Amino acid sequence: MAARWLAEGRRAEDLRIHTDTSDFFALDAGDIVVLDGRPYLIRNSIREGRFGLEDEVKHWVKRSIDLANGAMRIIKLVFYERFTATIGGIEFECFRSPRKEARILELVNDHPNFMHGRSAEDEKGNVVRVLEFISGVSLAAHVADLGQDHETYFYTTLPGILDNYLRCIEAIRFLHDHGEKHGDIRRDHILIDSDSGHYRWIDFDYNYRHRENIYGYDLFGLGNVLIYLVGKGDVLLPDLRLRDPGLLSRLTDGDLNIVFHNRLANLKKVFAYVPESLNRILLHFSRGANWFYEETPQLLQDLHEARADIR
Amino acid sequence: MSNRLDLHFNRNVLLAVDDSENARRAVAYVGCMLGGMPGASVTLLHVVAEPEEDYFARLEEKQQWLDQYRRRVDAFLEDYRRELTGAGFPADAVKTSAPLRTCPSIAECILTELDRTRYGTLVVGRQGLSRKEEFLFGSVSSRIVGHARNCAVWVVA
Repeated sequence: MAARWLAEGRRAEDLRIHTDTSDFFALDAGDIVVLDGRPYLIRNSIREGRFGLEDEVKHWVKRSIDLANGAMRIIKLVFYERFTATIGGIEFECFRSPRKEARILELVNDHPNFMHGRSAEDEKGNVVRVLEFISGVSLAAHVADLGQDHETYFYTTLPGILDNYLRCIEAIRFLHDHGEKHGDIRRDHILIDSDSGHYRWIDFDYNYRHRENIYGYDLFGLGNVLIYLVGKGDVLLPDLRLRDPGLLSRLTDGDLNIVFHNRLANLKKVFAYVPESLNRILLHFSRGANWFYEETPQLLQDLHEARADIR
Repeated sequence: MSNRLDLHFNRNVLLAVDDSENARRAVAYVGCMLGGMPGASVTLLHVVAEPEEDYFARLEEKQQWLDQYRRRVDAFLEDYRRELTGAGFPADAVKTSAPLRTCPSIAECILTELDRTRYGTLVVGRQGLSRKEEFLFGSVSSRIVGHARNCAVWVVA
């Protein structure tokens, strides 16, 4: 079954077959993992780059082939990681949870705005996730690669992106309605499926010990992505200092992102054609905000109204 | 009318605490304000938020975590109880309570405990969160102030 996928010179009888995936470092390219009686051929570990950092090899995530049908799959092995994350100087406790991701995969199995897959326990009870491969680029890369000037982008491209992003927020509301959080909302955690065109959330195995507002961190992520989309990238103070020093002197602390103080949230000060209704939403994620979104329906209602103002 | 007033305005105080400095200040404040006052009673409440199973690599770790947490809660509740009796409350006027609850919101769990009983006043410490902390994680005292009904709320800052 695996012979046609093997590298030249490798014999099928030399294949290593794993039914216990506890030690993910022991699973090499060319090995077979059997889950629920179904064999998968490991190709390689996934690399993930982020914000210009060098690619990090995720040894617990393997590109694989489902030998029963030849389909490409991503296999996420169990990696319990607990650590203290720091966002804008605030520390909080984070952890990876295979069980959470498995639960959400089941919940969203026919939802177009999420990655799809299933979970299976190996012989040691490790909850392994077998994910369908999504062909496409991340929303972050898509926006970063657009060659348009901002005004052209704002009137011609952003409306379509916002329509899709609204569906992504609806999808997060769906999770919250079921008591689940995404846990790691970032612009590179939305893939644009090149087959269907759908924007799809990926990677929901992160979790954190929430305090009072269980969904506050997800909303923070949604706001950051929105600011990135409207700004066609992060509008950073160092860039403004070089590009438009006069503008910099008109900014106040209240115009900055509430958590990332080198990013502008009040984008209307740079792009005057951003409608008030849209800018007001961005300001709810600024240092000057006196009211914060606590639930996705609040954000959705405002964003639907603002979307109608972009013509 | 007077029955409704009796229900909502009485000298029974629910004092929601954890092991923070803010909670300790709230306990000291209640001791100072109400210690020795005839008819005043206090219940020291710490809602034990049931941790999500996701937090643990193995399910048996959850019980170990809870046992350890319980010991810590019992210790600070006993500490606070002694402080209040030292401030003039009769021993039988200070109770402690540490129910285990599934709590998407600690504030709502505290308010639920309040609704189940006859407390006229709810006292909480204020954590003194920054704006961004409140944005990211929410504030228990702010939510309590926003959602409490039929009682007085004292926020000790």
